[in-house]
This record gives sequence, C-alpha cells and structure tokens, in this order.
Amino acid sequence: MQNKKWRKIYLSLFAIMAAVVLVACGNDSSEGETASETEDGKVELEFWSFWGSGPRRETIEAIIDDFNESQDDIVVEHVYQPWGDIWTKSLAAVTAGNPPNMVVQDINTVRQRADAQQATNLQEYIDAGDENIEDRFYPQLWDTVVYEDEAYGLPFNTDTHVLFYNKDLFEEAGLDPNSPPETWEELEEYARALDVQDGDNWERFGFYPLWNLGTDVWAINADNGRSWFDEEENVTINTPEKVAALEWITDWQEHYGESNINAYEAEFGSGVTDPFISGLLAMRGQNINYYTDLRENAPDDFNFGVAPLPEYEEGSGNWSWGGGFVLEIPYGAEHPEESYEFMEYATSTEVQERFGLNSFDIMANQEANENLVEHPELDEEGQMIYELADTNFENTVITPVPLTAPDYLSLVNGPLDEALLGNLTPQEALDQAQESVENLVVQNKE
Amino acid sequence: MIGTTEKTGAEKLNPPAIKTSFFKSQKNTKKMGNFFTYIILILVSIILMLPLVWMVSTSLKPMTEIAQFPPTLLPEEVQWENYLETINSFPFFQYAKNTLFITFFVVLGNVLSNSFIAYGFAKIDFPGKGLLFSLVLATMMIPSFVVMIPQYVLFSKIGWVGTYLPLIVPSFFGSGFNIFLMRQFYLSIDDELIEAAQIDGANHLYIWSRLMLPLTKPALITIGIQSFNGAWNDFLGPLLYIHEESKYTLQIGLQVFQSQSTTQWNYLMAGATLVLLPTVLLFLFAQKYFIEGMDLSAGTKG
Amino acid sequence: MASKVKPRKKKEWSKKRKKDAMWGLFFVSPFIIGFLVFMLGPMLFSFYGSFTNYNLTSHMEFIGFGNFIRMFTRDELFWTSLYNTAYYVLFNVPLTAVGSVLLAVLLNRRIRGISIFRTIFYFPAILSGVAVYVLWMQLLSPSSGLVNSLLALIGIDGPAWLFDPNWTKPALILMRLWSVGGSMLLYLATLQNIPTQLYESAEIDGANAFQRFRNITIPMITPIIFYDIVTSTIGAFQIFQEAYVMTESGTAGPANSLLFYNFHMWNKAFVAFDMGYAMAMSMVLFVIVLVLTFINLKLAPRWVHYGGGSNE
Repeated sequence: MQNKKWRKIYLSLFAIMAAVVLVACGNDSSEGETASETEDGKVELEFWSFWGSGPRRETIEAIIDDFNESQDDIVVEHVYQPWGDIWTKSLAAVTAGNPPNMVVQDINTVRQRADAQQATNLQEYIDAGDENIEDRFYPQLWDTVVYEDEAYGLPFNTDTHVLFYNKDLFEEAGLDPNSPPETWEELEEYARALDVQDGDNWERFGFYPLWNLGTDVWAINADNGRSWFDEEENVTINTPEKVAALEWITDWQEHYGESNINAYEAEFGSGVTDPFISGLLAMRGQNINYYTDLRENAPDDFNFGVAPLPEYEEGSGNWSWGGGFVLEIPYGAEHPEESYEFMEYATSTEVQERFGLNSFDIMANQEANENLVEHPELDEEGQMIYELADTNFENTVITPVPLTAPDYLSLVNGPLDEALLGNLTPQEALDQAQESVENLVVQNKE
Repeated sequence: MIGTTEKTGAEKLNPPAIKTSFFKSQKNTKKMGNFFTYIILILVSIILMLPLVWMVSTSLKPMTEIAQFPPTLLPEEVQWENYLETINSFPFFQYAKNTLFITFFVVLGNVLSNSFIAYGFAKIDFPGKGLLFSLVLATMMIPSFVVMIPQYVLFSKIGWVGTYLPLIVPSFFGSGFNIFLMRQFYLSIDDELIEAAQIDGANHLYIWSRLMLPLTKPALITIGIQSFNGAWNDFLGPLLYIHEESKYTLQIGLQVFQSQSTTQWNYLMAGATLVLLPTVLLFLFAQKYFIEGMDLSAGTKG
Repeated sequence: MASKVKPRKKKEWSKKRKKDAMWGLFFVSPFIIGFLVFMLGPMLFSFYGSFTNYNLTSHMEFIGFGNFIRMFTRDELFWTSLYNTAYYVLFNVPLTAVGSVLLAVLLNRRIRGISIFRTIFYFPAILSGVAVYVLWMQLLSPSSGLVNSLLALIGIDGPAWLFDPNWTKPALILMRLWSVGGSMLLYLATLQNIPTQLYESAEIDGANAFQRFRNITIPMITPIIFYDIVTSTIGAFQIFQEAYVMTESGTAGPANSLLFYNFHMWNKAFVAFDMGYAMAMSMVLFVIVLVLTFINLKLAPRWVHYGGGSNE
C-alpha cells in the first residue's frame, strides 16, 4: 500500500521546505546591510525620495548625476519609495538601525523626529561650513528644522495657498478679471455675482471656502497668522477671530445649502474630476501646486488668474498657510558628513532653480524663487506663479506639529464637522476642541 | 443526521448517470429555472462589473477628459497609448517577474503547510491540541501593524531585510486563517475513512497525502487562489522589506503615478487593469479543478 | 456527534495514544516552529511594550498600567473609535455572510457559462489597493456617482454617503458587500462537496427548493459559516485601510465617523510615535476579539454540523 511514487512526492515536498529554510538561513550574512563603499573607494549614499515619475524624478536624478560627476569621493544613488509609505519604511529602518543615508521628509514633523531621535543633528556640519546656510531659506521654513537651537534638516521645497479664479467667468459676470477680491467681504460680493442658480439647482458656484482649503487656513487668515497653537505651543483654538471665521464658513454653507454642498463635495474631494476646469466653480482656494494640474489638464485657452487669499478685513493681512519637504539624515545613518555635502549642494540656489524650473515647485531657497520670477525659460503664467509665491511667502505660515499634541487633528476636526452639521454653534465647537486638545496636551506632558 | 449514510464503495452511485435521468424527468421546470437563474446572474454581474467598466474606461481616457465634470462613463477619445505609457513608466516586466517569483513560493508554501498542519489539528488527538489551536486563533487577532515594527527589527537582525525571505519563508509555516479554514474542511470528512485506512496499515503521512489531499482539492484551490491574490497584491510587505528598486513588485510600481499633489488616474487604472489580468486568468483556469473536485468527492463522502 | 470509540484493551489504547501524539506533533510542528521563530518574540515584545512609554526610537520606560488608565478614563477618541468599529462589525459580519452564501448558491450550478459568471462574481475580491477605494469614492459621489444614479432609477434620493456622518459606515459596508467574492469562494468550495444524492432523495421525498436549502445546504455548510463568522469578525475589527485612504490624508471622515479602532491606533503609533499606547490598545482589542471568539466557539456545537463525526 505504501506507494513509492507518493513517498517520493512528499519527500520532495519536504526537501523544498528544508531548502527554502536553509537558503534563508545561509543568506543571513550581508544582504541586509547596505554596502557603503564602492570598489574604487568612493562613499556610496542612498537617497530616498517619493518622486517616482515625471519631471521631479528626472530632475532629481539629473541633479544627482551632476553631483556625482562634480567630485571624486561620493556617489549618491536615488531610490524611489512610494508617497506616504516612504516615512513608515524609513521609521522601521531607523528603529532597526539600518536607515538610508538621506530621506525627503515632511517639513511639519522635523522637530518631532529630532525629539524622538529619529533624525541626525546637523549642527556640527553646518558650523563647519563657511556659509551661513540659514540665509538660503525663507525664515519660517528654517524655523521648522530647528530643535533646541540646532538644525536637523535642510528645507527643500515648499508651497503656499492662494486663490485661483476663472478670468473668463469674471468677464461674463461683469467683474474686472485683473482685480481679484482682496477681502472676505469682497470675496462674498464677487461670489454672489458669479453664482448661477436654476431653481434649486446650482449651475455654478462662485466660491465655497472649504473647496479645497481647510477651516484651519481660514482660521489662520482671520487670526493674524496664528494657527491652532501659538509659538509657545499654547492651544489657541477658540479665539474670537477663529470663531468668527467658522461663523463665516457656516454662512457660506447656509447660502449654498448643505445638501448642495455635499452633492458636489465628492468631486472636489477625490481629486479626479475637476469642477474648476469644468466651470462649475469660479474661484477656488488651493495649494499653488495646483498650477501643474491646470497646465496638464485644462484646455489650452483656459484663462485663469492667481491672487493671494483675501484678507479677513482690510489691513489684517493676506495670511496663508504652507507646507513642504526637507532633506534629512535619519538617526544612525552612516557617513553623515558626506550626506550633508550633498544636501548642501541640493539646496544651493542654482540647483534649486533647476528643480523649480522643471517641476514648478516653490523652492525653499528664496533666491532661487526670485530668479525664477524672471526666468527666460518660463512662460508668463509660470513667472506669474513664482512672483505670487514669492510675495505670498511674507504672509505664509508653516504649522509644525506641536510636540505636546502631535495627534490633535481628529480632536479638532470632529467638533468642526459638528458645527458644519449644525449640531454645535461655532463657539461651542471651538470651545470643545480647545478643551479636548488641552486635555491631550496634559496627557502627553505626563 | 446528515453525512453518516452511504459511504462504502459498494454504495457509490454513478453521478453522471443519475444526473441525466434527473434532468430528463424534470426537463421543463428545469429549463424555466435556468432561465430565471440566468436573468439573476446577468443582473448581479452587471452590478459587479460596472466598477470594472469604469476602471477600464478611465484607463483609456486622456487626463483632460478625466478632469471633466460631470464625468463621462465611456471615453470620448480612446487612448490606447496609455497602456504603453504605463508599461514604460517603470520596469513593468521586471517587476512582474519579481512579483511572480514571490507569489509562486507563497502559494506553494500556503497550500502545503496549511493543509499539513490542519490535518494534525483536525484528525489526530494529542495532548495540548486545544491550547495550540488557541494559539493559532490568537495569531489572527493581533493587529498586524503593532507587530510590524518588532517583526521588521527581527528580520533585520537575521539579515533578511532587502531580500524576499521575510515575504516567502513565513508562508511555509502556516497562517492562522488558512489553518483554521483547512481544519473546518477536514472536520467535514468522516473519521471512519481514516480508521479504515489505518486498519489497512496506512500511517498518517500516507493518509494525508494519498487520501486527504485529493479529497480537499476545492479547499486547496481556494487557499491557492486566495494566497495568490494576497501575495500578488501585497503592498506593505514588499515595500517594507525590499530596498533595491530593481527588486520591487508591481504594486509598488503602480505607486509612481501618485504623488503629493497629483495622481495620473489614467495610468494608475491602466496599471491596475494589467495587474488584474493574471488573477482573472488564474481563476478561470482553476474553475476546471473545482468541477473535478465535485465529481471526486460526490461518491466518497456524504 | 456520537462518539465512535470502540472498547479496546487499555494497553493497546495508550500505545495508540502515544503514537498519535507523536504524529499530531509532527503535523503541527511547522506551525509551532513558525510561531516560535516569527511570532512569539514580536507578540511578547508588544505585550511588554503596552506597559511602557515606548516611542520606537528613544525611550521605553515601564509605566505600569498608565496607558490603560489613560485609555479608559482620558482618551475621548478611544470610545469613539470603539463605537465606530463595533457598528461596522455588527452590520458587516452578518450581511457579508448572508451575501456570500446567496451568491455561492446561485453559482453552484452546472449550466453553460457558469465559469464566466463565477469569475465575474469573484473579481471584485481580487481588485485591491488604492485604485478600488478611489473607484468607490467615484461610485459613491452624491451628485454624479453610479450608486445614487441607480437609486434614482427606482425613485430613491440617495444619501451623501462619504460626506454624511450617518452614511459613511454604511458606505464602507456596501463596499465590503460588493467584494464578498473571497468568502463566496469558500462556500462554493464547500457546496461542491455536498453529494447530489442528498438533494435527489430529498426531492423524491417531496421537499421543495426552500426546504432543500434549509435542511441540506445550510447544515452542510455550517462549518464554513462558523469559520466565516469567526474570521470576518476578527477581520472587521481590524478595518483601517479603506477608511484611511477614503478620507483624504487620514482625517477619519466627517465628524470622526470613520475613526475606527485601528485608525486611532495608527495615529497613536505613527503620528504621535506613542507606540506603547498603541500596543496597549492592541492588547485591549486582542482581549475583546478573544472573548467574542470564545463565545463563538462555545456556541458552535449548538448549530455547527460536522459531517465527519469528529469530536469537535
């Protein structure tokens, strides 16, 4: 009964299993560690970014090639990691002690990583250099990388939020396409002029503040550039100005009707269809990077303008909000000195200018942006974008994650949504958020 | 009670013969029944297929059309070159090869190990079985991302990070869900079959490989398909453990179309469609064995 | 099930038991090895970590029950996340079980073209990743989405789905229902094993289609229904990715209505780097799921029929 064929089959099954285990164990010598030197004695550096395709990838790789050719000691290799997950992966690698040499990181969490020993302190390399590297960058960007008076990263690119508006629709509504609204009041007037309603159905929305900005941006704008936290990390959520901003937003919601807004929210949320290009929306507050979408997806004759976000009241300032990315050396990475050399190169004016020219990103290097405003290779629209970005930066606030409440977001968003649903008044909602976040801060400080 | 009659060879009926006579006697009602079945099947199919239609249609549109509001269901302008562009955006065939390599071993490991382990849990009595099976269940209940980092550190310490080993090797040691599933299938098989074989002098290894593997074919195919699906579409695993771009898998490759500000939906959907094809083909192919499994077991158990 | 043990001599019995024990251990040994090598360490580490302020990179000090006390008394979102998850589990588990049984029965026929239909029914289960979630965001769009367009055809004014906190969780349940192909496959595989004679003799006895379904099909697939309920309960408690991707940059949906347990845990672990707290949360979830599974296992003998006459 013990058929020989079958004995053979299961013997071979176990042979396969055993072989896999053996191969696995035999392999444990070196593969995990990154070889850090090439055969000819050059230092090899691994650079992780989330630029996987298109002009950003091409440009960063060209920049790296140039750097590699410019000297004989260092070879940088670019490795693409998917957007978002790049940071989970790099955190795992830091925890295990085998991080890459450099990572493109989120600008808002640099201090948090410095505090948790996930990023390398760059101060000694900065001090060793002959240039005051701080001067390269917009000051608010530099602030984000400084933790306890020492720097943990170099800002690379950034963004700011502005108002995009459809010039053709302006003309159609009898508005001057060259004088966009400057205050919240004007914004309302313009929007009313641009609204087109057919019975209960809106054929065109003039403007709705939460497409595609958050309540937080309007709160910053109203509250003199102060975000949910002030500079000492005090919770500043229920200030009178922020309550006024939220009231203003609920007024807009009332104007268009909650169900009408919900009906179109998906079109704005998913980022697939674009109601601004389709003319369903006449003005839109948006990240300035949206320009690249317009370049690629809008018809050639699409006639649009950009302007700073209108100010809360005359003279209160066109406050806006921005983000961006920094170059960082993960904690425990080898060859930090060589890595820093490359980071210094990558944030220099010339290199930054090149990256901006190809990607239309707003660069962290101020001089690079200023050069791009009049760059001969850019068309008028492109120059306009850089010009606005540069001036807008005077009033752009970056909001690094507070160390005392890094995960505050849901505690604020919950009550804000309740206010928009009509379950809480703006005052009640912000009071509740204030209390919840203060409670979180107390928990985290213990 | 169901399942305790008709099990000896002498009582085996010839299923095809029964079926023909059965169909004949009930011909007309059966025809009507089939008609309604088709109606329902087609209706449900349409509902299930609409998302696929949307996916394929998006994959053929230019970005300017995708941005249009209201969205169009079918492309106004068909761009077949999207597929070419997708394949050229990353080393598609290299990544396909890598993914296939991982998937092959994961499927092999899952099909063998789970069937093997579950046989022990379902058909053999040994001390501590209850406790061990609780452990099997416990492994399913731990949220994966809490053990993700400690596991990563572990694989890093033994030097497996940067290789496919952390993705492949664990599948040869069983997974909670699949052990549990196979055990359920084994429990529906009559013990007397095993006892009879034992009286004939067969040991458990023989019974498992010679009697149980064929009997549980539909279950094995199910595990095969699902672990193919899991490994083929796995994203976080390869992402965490693979460091070299040349070793990436298709799911990582598809991510190049998403960045912080924009997503190239047409390429993403074209890629997703291409990645979907092998699984669909595999499933169509595996159908055949489903039917065979039916014939084999129809007479032997019940 | 009736015990099948025949009276034997005592000596013979214990010898068989000893031999069986060896065989049993031999068969389950891959699991034991895999568990010891790959799982035990990380699990113990997480257990210990739940009593510390572990932040992955710079500290791990023992703080006793601090994380647990904070969770139950101070963390407002903990209860929100538990509620959202319980809601999802409560509706998702029975609905998907019923849905997949019905589809499997529908497909368990020998008619022309059935393999095509089986493939179509299974295909939603093989679609995965961000593409699916985005696709569903489109389908669920209140104004132009397919779901509401279909509802409009039968005169229903569809809800705002992902933008109305009362409808976000039903939206995810609907999405999950669409992809029941995976568990449908299990039922189909089991249905293949039901001998046709059973149905034939029932039909001769005059049982109608519903009676055959009720008295033959259902009892025969109870082992897999049991498996499905246990595992989908476990799985449903772990819901995370859908909610994370479909709410843009992890904002947990309108009014935190999609802040599921694992979502909150993820925020604690990877946004706040409060890994110790996340590990404590995972322990609590573990206990919840363990208790539910235990109840399931205890109730099982009342309704699960194993054709094999085993002692389970």
